[in-house]
Amino acid sequence: MIMNKQEFLTHAGVQAQALDLWLEQRWLIPDQTSAGMKFSDMDIARACLIRDLKTDFGVNDEGIDVILHLVDQLHGLRRALEQLHKNL
Amino acid sequence: MTNPYEVIGVAPTASSADIQKAYRQLAKKLHPDLNPGDKAAEEKFKELAGAYDLLSDVEKRKRFDNGEIDATGVERPQHHFYRDFATSDHAHPYTDNSGFADFMDTDDALAELLRRGERARANRRGQDLHYHLPISFVESVKGANKRLTLPDGGTLDVTIPPGLVDGQILRLRGKGAPGAGTGGHGDALIEVEVLPDRRFSREGDDISLELPISLSEAVLGGRIRVPTPTGYVTMAVPKGSNTGTTMRLKGKGAPRRGGGHGDQFVKLKVVLPKTPDPELEAFVSNWEKGKAFNPREDSTS
Repeated sequence: MIMNKQEFLTHAGVQAQALDLWLEQRWLIPDQTSAGMKFSDMDIARACLIRDLKTDFGVNDEGIDVILHLVDQLHGLRRALEQLHKNL
Repeated sequence: MTNPYEVIGVAPTASSADIQKAYRQLAKKLHPDLNPGDKAAEEKFKELAGAYDLLSDVEKRKRFDNGEIDATGVERPQHHFYRDFATSDHAHPYTDNSGFADFMDTDDALAELLRRGERARANRRGQDLHYHLPISFVESVKGANKRLTLPDGGTLDVTIPPGLVDGQILRLRGKGAPGAGTGGHGDALIEVEVLPDRRFSREGDDISLELPISLSEAVLGGRIRVPTPTGYVTMAVPKGSNTGTTMRLKGKGAPRRGGGHGDQFVKLKVVLPKTPDPELEAFVSNWEKGKAFNPREDSTS
């Protein structure tokens, strides 16, 4: 499902102010279209992770930045490993 | 669900702060997005999160302690985890290869395999996108040009070929999601639903229609106008036609794969005038042969 900004805020339970920060930090990178930002299921799942880290785990913004960077690297590695597995 | 205190691992007398602390301790280890390779993490985390939702809410916790509610049904609703998307084959803006970039700089076989994988992904074809398009029966037989409005506000022009059947999938090459590098766009796959028609039905390439005719048309015959999906045609009804008599209009069915058309079958149905007619009544009362005719004579029941 593709959502616009307003739908995304409602669906992910995120404040507009928080989203601005997330976009600025490039924690979220939605598609930019002529009709504004478009959020994919992946963006929403990622927003849920950020929300869990922030509200449930009590991680501060600096911590989230570090975690996302490591999580992205982890997935990069997982993909590479999967590709290797296929090529072997 | 098991006892939420046991799930979180605290005593029933624990303070809110203790519960939060114990929850965070476990959640950090069990969150599926922090354990992308652990399949069981999701179930365990859901149970934990459900228990925490119950015990972190003072009101709910009190009701649970008093035995007013039990711990069932407190699992969190459908939660999409990032890990389900992050490892997908499709390129996405969060891709980060810095975790193994150093391996790729070398000359060995491992580096070559890694580079090959990267190249394949860099030039991957875009995803196929699926759509649903309802059209009328007449459009399915005649063909049509339709315009689909896409969720992102764009439009897609779809040419319906004549003779299309319900459930057929049209593939529009290159109209799917954009690919990466030289991969090109995916395709748009459009499942077409043919809406039922109140007059026509279809079997294979043949079309059926039930057509009401008057008593005089049935008895005396005549030329009547018959609707077909492509417009009206004139058909000769022979003298003495009956309800159930089926006429064939050759070549008036749906287009056939490989050329030609099916036929249209017109099933006649004799319909008397809505209001009783004294003249007709008088005629039938005086019609001696009609009284002698018993249409049920042959039936065994």
